[in-house]
Amino acid sequence: MRTDLEEYRARVRAFIAEHGVPMRGEGVRVPADADEERAIRRWLRALYEAGFLGAGWPVQWGGRADHLPQHDLVLMEELIRGDVYRPLDQVMLASHAIIEFGSDEQKAQLLPRIRGGEHVWCQLFSEPDVGSDLASLRTRAEPDGAGAGDGDGDGDGFTVTGQKIWSTDAQWADMGMLLARTDPSVNRHAGITAFVIPMDLPGIEIRPIREMTGYAEFCEVFLDGVRLGPEHVLGEVNGGWKVVTSGLASERAFVGANSLQLERMFDDLVALARAARLPDGTAALEHEDTQATLAEALARVEEVKLIVRDTVERILIDDEHPSDGPVAKLAYTETNVALTEIAMGIITSSVAIDEAGAAVADRWYHNFLWGRALTISGGASEIMRGLIGRQLLGLPRA
Amino acid sequence: MLTPMSRLVRLGSRQGTGVDAVLTTTFASDDIVALRDALRGALGTVWQELPSTVETTWRERWEPLAELGLPGFCVPEARGGFGLRVDAAVTAAMELGAALHPSPFAGLTASAHALAEAAEAAGSSGDPVVGGLLDDIAAGARICAFGRLGPDGRTARLVDGGPDADALLLLDRTRDELLLLAGPGDWSGEPSRHGFDITRTCADVTVTAGRGQRIAAPVHADALYELLLAADAIGGTQRALDHTVAYTGQRQAFGRPIGGFQAVQHRLADHAVRVRGMALLVHEAARQFDAEPRSQEQALAQAQRVRRAVALASLSVSSGAGHILHDLLQLTGAIGFTWEYGLHLYQRRVHQDARLAANPRAAARSLADTEGWTDAH
Ligand SMILES: Cc1cc2nc3c(=O)[nH]c(=O)nc-3n(C[C@H](O)[C@H](O)[C@H](O)COP(=O)(O)OP(=O)(O)OC[C@H]3O[C@@H](n4cnc5c(N)ncnc54)[C@H](O)[C@@H]3O)c2cc1C
Repeated sequence: MRTDLEEYRARVRAFIAEHGVPMRGEGVRVPADADEERAIRRWLRALYEAGFLGAGWPVQWGGRADHLPQHDLVLMEELIRGDVYRPLDQVMLASHAIIEFGSDEQKAQLLPRIRGGEHVWCQLFSEPDVGSDLASLRTRAEPDGAGAGDGDGDGDGFTVTGQKIWSTDAQWADMGMLLARTDPSVNRHAGITAFVIPMDLPGIEIRPIREMTGYAEFCEVFLDGVRLGPEHVLGEVNGGWKVVTSGLASERAFVGANSLQLERMFDDLVALARAARLPDGTAALEHEDTQATLAEALARVEEVKLIVRDTVERILIDDEHPSDGPVAKLAYTETNVALTEIAMGIITSSVAIDEAGAAVADRWYHNFLWGRALTISGGASEIMRGLIGRQLLGLPRA
Repeated sequence: MLTPMSRLVRLGSRQGTGVDAVLTTTFASDDIVALRDALRGALGTVWQELPSTVETTWRERWEPLAELGLPGFCVPEARGGFGLRVDAAVTAAMELGAALHPSPFAGLTASAHALAEAAEAAGSSGDPVVGGLLDDIAAGARICAFGRLGPDGRTARLVDGGPDADALLLLDRTRDELLLLAGPGDWSGEPSRHGFDITRTCADVTVTAGRGQRIAAPVHADALYELLLAADAIGGTQRALDHTVAYTGQRQAFGRPIGGFQAVQHRLADHAVRVRGMALLVHEAARQFDAEPRSQEQALAQAQRVRRAVALASLSVSSGAGHILHDLLQLTGAIGFTWEYGLHLYQRRVHQDARLAANPRAAARSLADTEGWTDAH
């Protein structure tokens, strides 16, 4: 098993060295221009074709019979180590939602296009007034009602009106997974439907939003009388909440790669302390107080690595506790923020950064700001703490 | 064939369940789970109820614990122990910490390990003093405490269990030697300055001039001592946390359990994550001892790995546990502020666990060393 994995790793590495498209920065994924976009799509397709991505899918849709969850972890580690463009989580989530809830036609239509790098997906969940409390979303998908419509006879389409926001990749996505309210008269979780929609339908307008990092990764998406047919419904009408909360069996072992990410961050922290010159000309790392701060940080990093390893071990034997995901996310993202804050402290305590550390310092500025994306998106830290409080500690809902 | 540890499996009388199983969720082998359960049985631990008094007659009940194998987890099998089962020692230290047990278990285990290694090295021509002491330790008849000799070579500060021990083993770091004091009048102890942790005794020790015998220090003795102190602290912290979680789930204020307020719940969630991380570091450090080195080179590399892993665990626990306990005192309100309630006993004890190893600073310095930061100039 061990040697098989090492052999797999070697193959992944060789593949990345030959085909990989470099990443511009943590969390930077929207292509800068048409050339980069072509390169990214080609790269994603190559990953699927080589059997590295989508290997855990059902064999009928291109998955591999010999796939192991460990392969996903090895793949993600090597992508991180190689500093190359990583698969988009929105695409992976969409894949699994389609596999789980899609009709045969939807699968036949959509899954091969994901594998071909032809379809990039985005998520249209959050709204200007709706974030953490997603079930209160307001975007309406009004059913046509029996016999209504323009004479085509079926009358079971929808008209969507509303606004979505913070939709990462929407400006270049081909497809979107949309959550909209189809029945406002029932309990709020029961009236939501999931749709899979082409992003170029009439009535959709997309405006990128500039983020504090300077990049424009997420967008506002306006939906104004967008016509959808029954073929766009994913799962059941009014069954959308199940689609988003079913804990889609995604590449769960990817979480293990957070360890490597933190390790690299920590190496960067030491490199920064080595390059940061204090007013007296010494390097920050020469000083006991900096060393003590780094030692504490290292202990935290090692804690998180073990928490993540423990989580992955349970994923591999299919024995997860519901709180494992929240524990791992909270531990990883908050420790990441703590590291960025230490880095900022080292920088502000210095008067200059050695030439050798200039790139490292720039990375820290970016990661300092980007760190907040991780503690907000995908469920804010406070939401994670609530989940841990209820699911692990058995405390009452706050 | 029975391995020494399978003796423990058979001793296990209760099923391994409870909140703490969820809180740490690390994979423990059957014999470790059985050991934990056997210890809880022997110590009379009712996990949910904190002890509010400290046992004063523990020596009278030590022999049954010794029969469970407690002093021999890090003693070679040829000497009647279990080999180097640091995982078992860690598990025992956590249970003893959780039970506020007064024995100097960390030092006793390190001492037994060091004495046994010395006896092994000497072979059949071994020193009868060492051999006799080892036998008595194994039988639970004598207790040997562990300490670190100061720069003057005569005094050792902060010897856990020092006032009541039958023998002392003092590490002389400058010479990589241990000074064994096993006879009456070999040392005098001054316990008066060390009353904060009332769950154990502690003394500053002065060696009587000309007394004691020197033995070579095995590589792991000091690391073992430090790791078991961290294990003691994390065991107590875990239990105090479990207890506080249960309390906040029941105690009502403003018409609901206080554990339903985010300001309370979120802190407990953070503590639970932190405690899991610390416990995993302690278990991971235990694992690093286990590999049997085959060459000199491997032995060196392993010693370095052990040192690093122990420093990580000690740093993490010594800087985190006291802080968490202090917050648990806050979250239990005035009841937690009482002597009777007993949470303070854990606060006192984890403080002492850190101090006995001069942590967090010593561990941070050690890491700075192993990571190569100290030669950054
Ligand atoms: C970089 C980035 C990318 C994103 N990409 C997407 C995307 O592709 N598609 C998409 O649909 N959405 C996306 N989001 C949106 C993300 O899902 C939301 O930001 C998130 O759900 C939080 O919602 P909100 O921003 O409206 O914050 P709010 O819900 O307004 O909350 C603000 C803050 O209040 C606190 N808070 C909220 N609820 C509670 C509570 N119950 N208890 C205690 N404190 C609470 C938290 O600190 C939270 O951060 C992205 C966000 C970011 C930052």
